[in-house]
Amino acid sequence: MSYTELTVWTRGIIMDKEGRDIVNSVSASARLEGKYAQAMENYVDNPDRTNAPTRKYCRVSDRVLENELTYENEHPNIVVLVEDTMVKGWDYMRGMPPGGTLIINTHYSPDYMLRFVPGVERLAQLVCVDAAHLAHHKWLYYRLGELGLDRLSTEGAAERSKLIAPDIAAPLIAALVKSTGIVKMETILPMIANKNAFEMALSEMKIMQFNPVAV
Amino acid sequence: MPTVTATKKKTVRINGCVASAQAAKYADVDVIAAYPIRPYTATMMALAQMVANGELDAEYIVADSEHSQLSIAHGASSSGARVFTGSSGVGVQFAYELYSPISGSRMPVQMMIADRTLDPPGDFGSEHTDALSTRDMGWLMGWACDAQEAFDNHLIAYRIGEDRRVLLPQMVCQDGFFVSHITSDVELPDSSQVREFLPPYKHPYPLDPRHPVSHGPQIMPEQGPPLQLERARAMEGSMAVIEEVHKEFGEIFGRHYDPWLEEYKTDDAEVVFFLQGGHGVTARFAIQHMREKGLKVGMVRLRTIRPYPTDRVCEVLSKFKVVGVIETNMGLGSPSSGGVLYADACAALYEAPERPLVISFMAGMGGEAIVLKEFYWMTEKMIQAQKRGKIEKRTHWVGFEE
Repeated sequence: MSYTELTVWTRGIIMDKEGRDIVNSVSASARLEGKYAQAMENYVDNPDRTNAPTRKYCRVSDRVLENELTYENEHPNIVVLVEDTMVKGWDYMRGMPPGGTLIINTHYSPDYMLRFVPGVERLAQLVCVDAAHLAHHKWLYYRLGELGLDRLSTEGAAERSKLIAPDIAAPLIAALVKSTGIVKMETILPMIANKNAFEMALSEMKIMQFNPVAV
Repeated sequence: MPTVTATKKKTVRINGCVASAQAAKYADVDVIAAYPIRPYTATMMALAQMVANGELDAEYIVADSEHSQLSIAHGASSSGARVFTGSSGVGVQFAYELYSPISGSRMPVQMMIADRTLDPPGDFGSEHTDALSTRDMGWLMGWACDAQEAFDNHLIAYRIGEDRRVLLPQMVCQDGFFVSHITSDVELPDSSQVREFLPPYKHPYPLDPRHPVSHGPQIMPEQGPPLQLERARAMEGSMAVIEEVHKEFGEIFGRHYDPWLEEYKTDDAEVVFFLQGGHGVTARFAIQHMREKGLKVGMVRLRTIRPYPTDRVCEVLSKFKVVGVIETNMGLGSPSSGGVLYADACAALYEAPERPLVISFMAGMGGEAIVLKEFYWMTEKMIQAQKRGKIEKRTHWVGFEE
């Protein structure tokens, strides 16, 4: 039986859509491939506040999801950090079984980022991708006016932009799919708005491999 | 004239909150009275977008509190509008004064409740106490267990509440998070199906300066009893209409609901869970696993709690040896010192020639998910009671005992 949990850590309001796009597109792709999949936001993190850490979850399984009503991913196999300063300060590795993958949006190398990661022994691979650069974000807080949502809260709101992954989510999804194979590239690619950034990430991403030990 | 654009049947992946907003749109509501509180907020925001985008032609009024929200709903309904409102948790409580006047003036206001705990603990999680505390105020009331059922319940409730034989407000409830924020595939109907099922609302005595009528006047004590009797009769009389409308809904939409109870693997069951709402989804999985081990366990899910289907509950629950009521609500000082569902179930069973043992389980409190192993634990307690021939105690707090 194959069962995978993906947890995306992002920042409230300003990068909320990016996080949501990642879990929604992976979940939708998995379902297209005939698997059982679910995407949701952390219920307690919302309504999100600007910059506050928020979590988005995805579960993919070849069997029906019996834990559909469980609030959090307790054992994430894959963790994505949408913004690189999140590497410090939160235990995003909590519950990760050995053999996990950590993906960070950063211009630093895996070598450099590794020192900040708690529980590295659980990782099979650390992936760094300069998503903001590939998606032409001069810096992450740039273009506030184009952000998906109003400044109050994203709770229940729909995006102003109907596009999926027009921005830094696209390279992150590319790195995620290429490094983990959670879904097939050909299933997810048609959904992605920023195909250029997606494809550039496939060659630009940096992967550091480990041999995880059981913890 | 319907103001909703004609649409074809389609399946979308949405959560319970959006399903409720979609249902209000399909019902072509005239007035939406809104005031934000999680998790209901997601419904009012979805409706605001529909109105802003021109998908729905309705008056969208943001009140200054839930009390005003329900007052607006009351007034709008009195003028003959089809009204949609909603709330959660303490918001439901803040509007309490309005529940009796609305049912007393027989206004079929519809209120969506996405449950949230009261204070304490005041977290975002689902306890049914918010809506259940208003259960005797003359509102039709029932719980959905997923987004599709929530969508359907809204249409069904309008049709029942607006029936001239009924004319009562409706609380259409769903668990916060477990239904309100979990996405699933929801079939949105063809608008012609909705037109066939739910005719435009027409109150027999709307407030209209051209045809003056009085609503809710101050009355003398001796006028009280007949007024209360009328309301009680309306509630009791709604039962036949509820059955009729569910049948018709099944014929038009192809989804056939028992209006009162969902029975899951009860044919040869000896012990059953008796519950409401979203936890029924996990209960089904737990029952499948326990059945594989040969345990004769099933589930009876209450779909409508007001009016309470006393005869049906008596007939169904008396078939079993042990009934485990999963409360998901607080009934401090209630007969079981647990929740409030136990007392209703026992009252219904009182006239049964052979009564099952009844245990009350306090589970899912604070909005915690009830996980598979907790269902196994509760089943074990029921089986022990069955073997012993009597219960260990009336109420178990799940997670606090061996």
